[in-house]
Amino acid sequence: MTVMRNAREVVGQPTPLIDGIEKVTGQAKYTADLPSSGALVGRILRSPFSHARILAIDTSAARALPGVRAVVTGDDCAFTYGVLPIAMNEYPLAREVVRYRGEPLAAVAAVDEATAAEAMRLIRLEVEELPAYYTAEAARAPDAVLLHANKPGNIERAVHHRFGDVEAGFAAADLVREQVYHCAEIAHGQMELNGALVEYDTARDQLTIWSTTQVPYYVHLMLSRCLAMDMSRIRVVKPFVGGGFGARVETLNFEIITALLARAAGGKVRLLLSREETFLTHRGRPDTEVRLKLGMTRAGRLTACACEVVQRGGAYAGYGIVTILYAGSLLHGLYDIPAIAYDGWRVYANLPPCGAMRGHGSVDVRFAFEALLDSMAEEAGLDPFTVRRQNLLSAPTETQNGLRVESYGLGECLDWAERASGWATRHGRLGPGRGLGMACSHYVSGAAKPIHWTGEPHAVVHLRLDFDGGITLLTGAADIGQGSSTVMAQAAAEVLGIRLDRVRVVAADSMLTPKDNGSYSSRVTFMVGNATIDAARALRAQLLAAAAEPLGAPIEAIECEHETFRRIGDDGPGLPFAEVARAALAREGGAITAKGSFTCPVEFQGGKHKGGAVGSTMGFSYAAQVVEAAVDIDTGMVTVEQVWVAQDCGFAINPLAVEGQIQGAVWMGMGQAIGEETRYERGLALHGSLLDYRVPTIVESPPIALHIVESIDPNGPFGAKEASEGALAGFLPALVNAIADAIGLRLDTLPVTPDRLLEALAVRRREQRLARELAREPAHEQQGAA
Amino acid sequence: MELLPPFHVATPATIAAAVAARQRQATGRFIAGGTDLMVNLRHGLGDPAALIDLRGIPELQHVTAGPDGLVIGAAVTLAELAEHPAVTSRYPAIAAAATAVGAPAHRAAGTVGGNLCLDTRCIFYNRSAWWREANGFCLKYKGDTCHVAPTGKRCHAAFSGDLAPALLVHAAEIDIAGPDGVRRQPLAALYAEDGAAHVRLAAGEFLVRVVVPADPWPAAYAKARARGAIDFPLAGVAVALRRRGSDVDGLRVALTGTNARPFLLEGTDGLLGTPVSPAWLDRLGRLVQKQVSPMRTTLLAAQYRRRVAAALAQRLAATLGGADAVGHAA
Repeated sequence: MTVMRNAREVVGQPTPLIDGIEKVTGQAKYTADLPSSGALVGRILRSPFSHARILAIDTSAARALPGVRAVVTGDDCAFTYGVLPIAMNEYPLAREVVRYRGEPLAAVAAVDEATAAEAMRLIRLEVEELPAYYTAEAARAPDAVLLHANKPGNIERAVHHRFGDVEAGFAAADLVREQVYHCAEIAHGQMELNGALVEYDTARDQLTIWSTTQVPYYVHLMLSRCLAMDMSRIRVVKPFVGGGFGARVETLNFEIITALLARAAGGKVRLLLSREETFLTHRGRPDTEVRLKLGMTRAGRLTACACEVVQRGGAYAGYGIVTILYAGSLLHGLYDIPAIAYDGWRVYANLPPCGAMRGHGSVDVRFAFEALLDSMAEEAGLDPFTVRRQNLLSAPTETQNGLRVESYGLGECLDWAERASGWATRHGRLGPGRGLGMACSHYVSGAAKPIHWTGEPHAVVHLRLDFDGGITLLTGAADIGQGSSTVMAQAAAEVLGIRLDRVRVVAADSMLTPKDNGSYSSRVTFMVGNATIDAARALRAQLLAAAAEPLGAPIEAIECEHETFRRIGDDGPGLPFAEVARAALAREGGAITAKGSFTCPVEFQGGKHKGGAVGSTMGFSYAAQVVEAAVDIDTGMVTVEQVWVAQDCGFAINPLAVEGQIQGAVWMGMGQAIGEETRYERGLALHGSLLDYRVPTIVESPPIALHIVESIDPNGPFGAKEASEGALAGFLPALVNAIADAIGLRLDTLPVTPDRLLEALAVRRREQRLARELAREPAHEQQGAA
Repeated sequence: MELLPPFHVATPATIAAAVAARQRQATGRFIAGGTDLMVNLRHGLGDPAALIDLRGIPELQHVTAGPDGLVIGAAVTLAELAEHPAVTSRYPAIAAAATAVGAPAHRAAGTVGGNLCLDTRCIFYNRSAWWREANGFCLKYKGDTCHVAPTGKRCHAAFSGDLAPALLVHAAEIDIAGPDGVRRQPLAALYAEDGAAHVRLAAGEFLVRVVVPADPWPAAYAKARARGAIDFPLAGVAVALRRRGSDVDGLRVALTGTNARPFLLEGTDGLLGTPVSPAWLDRLGRLVQKQVSPMRTTLLAAQYRRRVAAALAQRLAATLGGADAVGHAA
């Protein structure tokens, strides 16, 4: 739905975020900043057990404590919740069985924090402990107790997909290599802690929630379900949100618990989680093992791919089925591969549930793929860039698993990254301890098939015009810092030919704004952007109609630029916007609301095979990056010296925000590559603070040179696609490839912490010593030793 | 964030008043910067009836450099110490160690006394109250088992202050105030190899100042940590090395982060009288590896801390000793 204009006035211009002033001046109100006078303090009692049958939870002493206004347990909510309609197996407060240390068991609302803490101490638990499993392997053991009775083998979902003739592909290859890779579980580390404020109006049976969410509509759905309240009695408001990265793309237990408490207490409850509790709520990227086999010709052309993935998903389903499907489906869509076999297993374990995280499902597999490809290129004596260029797609095309690729700027990304990094003269030539590595990656611009199929459009936007001449843009899309509200304002202003600051955005308040599925899978710019253009065109048509009579011209002959309506080609003074707006209001019978919508056509919604919808999208972003790293072999420290990254985002509606998003993606990939990992001691999270969960500091943050490639997607708003996830996955393999260039050591485990690196070096020394010793022995003994 | 326990705050203006305030409060704690203590209190580690703030006592506030050496008040902040001209010019190891602590905000508040008396750290100890209770508490606080070494009888929590080794290699002494007045002793005597009782101070005693002798040997400090800021040392090493001609004439090596206390490496006399060479560095590395005893108190592997402690000691000694064997692997 490209809007054809010769000169872009507003979109394509680097634009500070329209809500940036509030943020940098500290005026922005996040959930914890909202007025909470009179609010009760909510606290959650969490399970100290990994896996146990709940025999009794005695809350009588807590209820009797003066100042306690409500105590709730699993008995107060018999409804499961979950983001996937086919896999809702989680209770906001555990019932019958508790499945991870940290799972909510009870919650209290009290007049102050001290009373709430005392009430928690008075709650008595009686349980029967069950065997607990902390690895996918242990959970899959034949005699393992099932976490969920309906899931044999503790397998949430097994996926087996075959596309093309894999056997023939490997037979046709000159080089076939297989390798196992392991990526530790990671968490989002979003700045703002989880929290909710809920006001329950007893007289009217109405409930309002302000929450730290990316998906106000899903919160709305789950509150209605779990509290058995008609949706019209619930209002969901998203205040300023301090980051999400996927942590908040499903309704979370604390949101439902706060609502249960507010209703039980008959008032207002504020529940703010600590950093540790935010980590326990989790929903991050699962611990993943990837077994990957690739076939390649002498020239570097890929012939086949076989990939097995095991994800340790934690105790509940969450997004798990989607994650294990993404891991396989996004083997496609980046390169032209004739045959791909994928086997994935999503496994339950007694740990906090995993979920969606930036680059959902694709990142760990992409790490394995690009690392193995790099090592095979070296073995074949080919340059890593050459190998990628041998396998480029040609748009438009459809992948073997039914994904449509309408625009494809990967070749340009490669060209820029290669040139900017000085690859040709620097790769392999930086001396000991310093190296260059490269990798590619891609990501979807929104899931083409929504999780909750209702028959409605994927996105709806309202534009309102009233007596003051201001344009109010109403959208359910949750701006969580990524800048979606700014993009929508730009899109509306561009189409209407008006100043950006004439548009004011009201976002994500269910009482005012049209429903939106939320900020996930990089869907907002593409889908809500197109809906905004649609709404702006509708409003423009009404304005042009109002301008037609005074200008004495047919609608088709009128345009509005710089807030002035003129006949096309006329240089006269024209009609100012305010005058036309007044005429339109009179003509249309008062305040105007123009509606726009967007729906992904069914042919973009993926292949016909089971799970085929996951990975489907209307446009893929593409990225290529080069990482320069220095390795200290005495201390095991890896320093990221510089990154060069190019991303095809279709068209940069706001180049300033696109730059920030790409830098953020690279930086987040760096965190996973060099330090971030969750750790558990018999199911107890050892990473519950930002001291133990090692997100990089500014000291580790390298210069990131970036380049935006604009392939102008035929379906994207102004040609735009995804801009914030595609560059993440490439960092991980680019770094290990750079380490290989620096010290000749190919690592297969993330993160590359200094202890792992020194251990890998020690292992290599032992192996080299052993090889030397074997070489000195006579041949027959050598065979014996083998 | 967890609630702080209720406590009184005393703000004595003299050493005597501080000692008296502490004697009145059996469960009182001294506090200066609070960058470590407040975090621990929010985790439910301790329930003091009073916090006695030492920052109002003038004698604790200053750094002075004279013919008798460097005198550092215990309430001097790490940022002040790191930027003091006498420290940066003559005691670069001390400046480097102070700069290596935490992040700028920690150094602006954290003090010399606080860093020297820092509580020991362990992955089973620096946790929320909920976590520790779910884990059955530990030997260091409220429990009877050390989860690091369950069959042992003592706490293995690691001392994690950066400043101590840099002062130890300069043979620093400390003044301790207490009910019986002020006494002076070597800094090394402050510490014991017991993670639950690593600072030897009687009730009512606190650190007043550190005295570092004049004419220091050339020295340096290096710290291994996963990130370039914020993190406590996985291992920290200070080396002071004096040469006569090309021979090593004096050598002190001190370590932090690997044991329940910071300590001076023993047996360095055997390395005197010869130049620094690859073989010499090998011997130093073995000496370090033998005497450090890192346990599973950090998320990074204990074996790594042993290796990197040796590697850092070798690197510093090679630089100070003028050897070109800097790239020597552990």
